[in-house]
Amino acid sequence: MIQRFRSVLVIGLALILLCVPGFLWRPQQRADVQATYRSQMAPVFLVPGSSATQNRFDALVAGLNQKTPRRHSLLRVEVMTDGSLKYTGSIRANDTQPIIVVGFENHHDGYATIQKQAKWFTIAFRALQRTYHFNHFSAMGHSNGGLVLTIFLEDDLAKTQAHADRLMTIASPFNLEEPDQSVNTPLFKQLIAGKNRLPKALTVYSIAGSKGYDGDGIVPFDSVNRGKLIFQGQVKSFTQMTVTGANANHADLPENQQIITLIRQDLLA
Amino acid sequence: MVEQTSELGRGFISLEIKFRRNRQIRAIYQAFRLIFPLILVGTLADFINQAWLQRSGYYYQTLHVAKWAFQLNLWRDYLGLLSAGALGLTVILVAFAVSFYLVIPATPVLADRLMAGILAMLTLSVCNVNRQSLVTHRPIQWVASNSDLSGILIGILVGLIVGNGYRWLIRHQRVTQHPLRQTVGTVSLWLIVLTGLGFAWASTQTVGLNAAVQTLTRWPFQLPHTLGTLLGFGLVTGVGQWLGLLGPIASVGGQSVAAIQNLAAVLDHSGWQIPHPITVHTVVDVYATSGGPGMVLALLLAIFLVQHNQRQRRLGWTCLVPTLGNCNAPLLIGLPVVLSPILLVPFILAPLLCIAMSWGCLVLRWVPAVAYPLANGTPGILQAYLGTGGSSAALLLSVIELVLSTMIYYPFVKWASIAEEAVTHDPTIS
Repeated sequence: MIQRFRSVLVIGLALILLCVPGFLWRPQQRADVQATYRSQMAPVFLVPGSSATQNRFDALVAGLNQKTPRRHSLLRVEVMTDGSLKYTGSIRANDTQPIIVVGFENHHDGYATIQKQAKWFTIAFRALQRTYHFNHFSAMGHSNGGLVLTIFLEDDLAKTQAHADRLMTIASPFNLEEPDQSVNTPLFKQLIAGKNRLPKALTVYSIAGSKGYDGDGIVPFDSVNRGKLIFQGQVKSFTQMTVTGANANHADLPENQQIITLIRQDLLA
Repeated sequence: MVEQTSELGRGFISLEIKFRRNRQIRAIYQAFRLIFPLILVGTLADFINQAWLQRSGYYYQTLHVAKWAFQLNLWRDYLGLLSAGALGLTVILVAFAVSFYLVIPATPVLADRLMAGILAMLTLSVCNVNRQSLVTHRPIQWVASNSDLSGILIGILVGLIVGNGYRWLIRHQRVTQHPLRQTVGTVSLWLIVLTGLGFAWASTQTVGLNAAVQTLTRWPFQLPHTLGTLLGFGLVTGVGQWLGLLGPIASVGGQSVAAIQNLAAVLDHSGWQIPHPITVHTVVDVYATSGGPGMVLALLLAIFLVQHNQRQRRLGWTCLVPTLGNCNAPLLIGLPVVLSPILLVPFILAPLLCIAMSWGCLVLRWVPAVAYPLANGTPGILQAYLGTGGSSAALLLSVIELVLSTMIYYPFVKWASIAEEAVTHDPTIS
């Protein structure tokens, strides 16, 4: 009888022994689960460039929805200069990849405005995060919108505890419109200084438009090119592409069919 | 020994003995003994890989393996290959062995015995052909997937069909015929018939034979989550495993939409408000799979409580590590539980009891529902505790269910042990 229970006792003790790591790990279980947890919803943020409003991407989203198997909801958010938010559009229930366009009441060009817009974007992001409980996202910025997103990723993303999956910048001037390649603008210096804080798991696509030898008509090639100095070696992958042909000048790029295809393939996939 | 058991027990023992003396069953059990070492090694490699080296593994997470392990990726690849190598062709090996053992009593010629096994393997191959390569008249490509543990039933059936057919042919051939011509004739006839069957299958079906059977077994996932359907799921899972479908039906993994919504609710809000407390995952996966589907950890404990069968005890020790990691295949094949009439009863009853008890406790809110993902290889009794973020009530329920399951298994394991000894010591069937 004693022998019979001895084996069972040995197995019971082995079982308890194997449970010990679980008991010791349990206090940090929530943090570990939280770190690997990804919400079902992963919105795609679109940020327009200067002089454009939150309606800037209506045609782009309509074009995308014609070519994707599932329609993406469109929510437009305008951040006022006092930090308040105005919403138009809506997110459909069970839409796991809605498109959220964040525009700014003050959408003038300039280094100082871009800084402010990055902070306003953070306000909108946190408000949306509180409402929709997402913890990962992708983003696309056209022109200065790409700069706003890059500053946000460097300065404020960590505070939101969200994970950035993919970033696409379209004709974003990382050295502003500086034509002299030997000059580093304050914005470029700021982005270089903060590049270590970029998320390591991020996939970045930088797209340049080509109208002539120097750029897309507004942004110089060199300025877009400098994205590689900021992202390379800091993020998981960095890919740079140049779009030519019809609709390759700066303002037309979001409606360019090649870019719509790239967004569908690389950002929404 | 038989005299000491109850009438019910004697009935079961008598049934088991008759069953084991059956030629077909004997061939299947011999095949199981043949492939058992492969299953044990493959399962162990898979368990170490999944539980210790993968991010979703219990020991990987709790012992922070990534911080101290050396050449982690290398070990993952090596163990993955070892596991796939040992288990990847299980179905084909079972078909070979069953057919081989079936033919042994019918002929003393080794070549005939081997050819019966080879034909069974070829049958599986021609039913697992890449359909596109066949219908587009390109060089034929074989489908090597779906031949692992999950389709043992297919291997058994093909082995039985081919083995019995080959026996029949051998017995009805004229003994005066030239041996070489005789073998060539038999093999040619078989190949023509089997290839015809395979061709008919591949021409009309879009998937391989094993894949088709596995798809059929997944239907319970579409059911709503009531007590009746949970018990039904438990029953189908149990019968499927008992028949030799050791694969996908039992591995839900908590990846359903409901499980994700439960996790989101817990992480996004304070407190423990679960939108879907009753699901296959929260009830069956968590409470009815200690040691793997069928509450096999309870079976292991029952083996050690039944004192007298040395073979069972040795097997128990051999299968201890995988069973503690919820890998039930070695014990199911080694004992065997698969196709054993006596062990079918507790193998079905114990999980059903656990499902009913857990469902009741969840409905009465005596225990919270699990929301955290379960790590692979988590000891059975700890699954509910960790899944609920440390609920002592859930841990207690798991332990009680393990004890009750062991009590259910105990008499049946004792009777199976008696039946096995009776069969082993009977010279007429050795």
